[in-house]
Amino acid sequence: MVIVLILGGLFFLLRPDTPSGVPRDRTIAVSIEDGEMRPAEIFVNEDDSVTLRLRSDRPMEIHLHGYDVEQEVEPGQKASLRFRADLTGRFEIEDHGSERELGVLQVRPR
Amino acid sequence: MQTSRVAVAALAFSFILAGARPALAHGFGPTYDIPIPLWLYLYGAAAAVVLSFLPLALFYRKERDSPYRYPRLDLFRIRFLKKVLTSRLLTGGLRLLSVALFLVVVIAGLVGLQSGYNFAPTFVWVTWWVGFSLFTAFVGNLWPLVNPWRVVFDWAEGLVRRLGYRDGLEFDEPYPEALGIWPAVGLYLVFVWIENVFSGSYVPRNIALFALAYSLITLYGMAFFGKETWLRRGDAFSVFFGLLGRFAPTEARVKDPDVCLGCDGCGDDAGGGCVNCYKCFARAAPDERELNLRPPAVGLGLAEKVMPGGAAFVIVVLAGVTFDGLLETPLWLEIVRLTPLTQTLGTILLPLLFFGLYLGFVELSRFLGGGGEGGFRRFAAAYAFSLVPITIAYQVAHYYTYLLVQGQMMVSLVSDPLGWGWNLFGTADFEPRYGIVGAGFVWYSQVALIVAGHVIAVYLAHSISLRLLRDPGRALRSQLPMLVLMVLYTMTSLWILAQPIVE
Repeated sequence: MVIVLILGGLFFLLRPDTPSGVPRDRTIAVSIEDGEMRPAEIFVNEDDSVTLRLRSDRPMEIHLHGYDVEQEVEPGQKASLRFRADLTGRFEIEDHGSERELGVLQVRPR
Repeated sequence: MQTSRVAVAALAFSFILAGARPALAHGFGPTYDIPIPLWLYLYGAAAAVVLSFLPLALFYRKERDSPYRYPRLDLFRIRFLKKVLTSRLLTGGLRLLSVALFLVVVIAGLVGLQSGYNFAPTFVWVTWWVGFSLFTAFVGNLWPLVNPWRVVFDWAEGLVRRLGYRDGLEFDEPYPEALGIWPAVGLYLVFVWIENVFSGSYVPRNIALFALAYSLITLYGMAFFGKETWLRRGDAFSVFFGLLGRFAPTEARVKDPDVCLGCDGCGDDAGGGCVNCYKCFARAAPDERELNLRPPAVGLGLAEKVMPGGAAFVIVVLAGVTFDGLLETPLWLEIVRLTPLTQTLGTILLPLLFFGLYLGFVELSRFLGGGGEGGFRRFAAAYAFSLVPITIAYQVAHYYTYLLVQGQMMVSLVSDPLGWGWNLFGTADFEPRYGIVGAGFVWYSQVALIVAGHVIAVYLAHSISLRLLRDPGRALRSQLPMLVLMVLYTMTSLWILAQPIVE
């Protein structure tokens, strides 16, 4: 009984507030140069509407694992990848042609 | 849905590329897990410490009479179940299926598509290694029944006897007893190295070649020393699944202790009858056999004759799963960068470090408990079993998402095992679904599993100490070092889960 109380109390003490209430629209600029993505890791929260504004120095097809969405990018042109972040977890972003990993998208649960 | 096929194949191929990079040598693909947040890590650690006192308090009040007494329900007493479970159709069918799957793995590995869509890697690493391990720990140990090497050996032996050679295939050379189960420890270590370090662990051809090499060792060992002798001492997988089977909520028991006289595998005193000795189980008359449901983990507290190397095997398994997690942490990356340590050295040094720590804490525990009969070796061997729940909990926490995500590939792979574009069962176009469980659920379940494994381990260690010391007061004192050791390890596992994943 005492143990249950201690553990329950600790849980509420340590648990932080859930990330800022309602889902938001997130627009993130992503640039790829020499096979490196900046930022290398993208953090969003569950259910956010995410728009990645993509720029690349080479033509490539960006592929986001898990969500399985793709977007072609040409040098000098802007392209965007839109999706709702309804899957939580850590997903690789890769160049579909060379199968090279460019970076990671982390979707945190609410 | 041709594109999805290509995507899956590309996904599988990217595992191979990822495996080729030295930093990520993991045998499997991605799981989409995110590290647990700091607050949950701290909470898990605090919960482990607080809950550690629960078993101690339980034991303090009432003295347990005998570790052999626990509630059991004999499934063979239910007539229908007995008929189904002992039918030759089921047991023979499972054995045949096992050998068939083994053959498919070898064939797919040798002649199937090497760069992507192939049955062998997913079946071996995900379905068998992760899936069958979990089945063994949480349902029961079927390995002695379906072990393909045992089945093939049995078939070959039957054939040889039918051809008129009375002696069969076993030479029954005397096995050097001092060697104990060290051959299994060595082979398991090699397996851990292949899983975690070897960069080609996901390449189908390598898997087939390893399987064939292992077959050669195992079949030779069985022929040379006798089937049961080798399986119990030299077959790393029989020893491994046997260990998990002791945790399982089912047991195979022989009622009549006389059956076990002269068996080298049963305990000296298993409290009337012998438990999970498959040699005796096979020998016993049908109405002497029981298939019991029992509380999980009680099998680990039973007294058993422990062969040399028994404690080392448990430690190697524990260090193996920990090493797998450790490899993905930034700390390990720094260690490899700054010191002459390599992945291969780590595979050997981490078990040695664990073993040294373990033996040190056992000696401390023996000292505080005021010694005890049987000496240090007996204590070290007995307490090792209490670490098994911790190993299983970490294994499940670490791998169950692999099983959920990667295991789905099996649906399409059974239709096209060689990657040749077949569609045998019409399921080749099946698309894996992600996000079956959300990251939040994964976090809580991982922490809950590790804390639960910790509490069971503390409980087991205490019941083992009561058996060895026969005095509640001394047992309680002797448990303080064991408690510290387990808290240390549990914090390490939680810490690994909280680390950012690096590749």
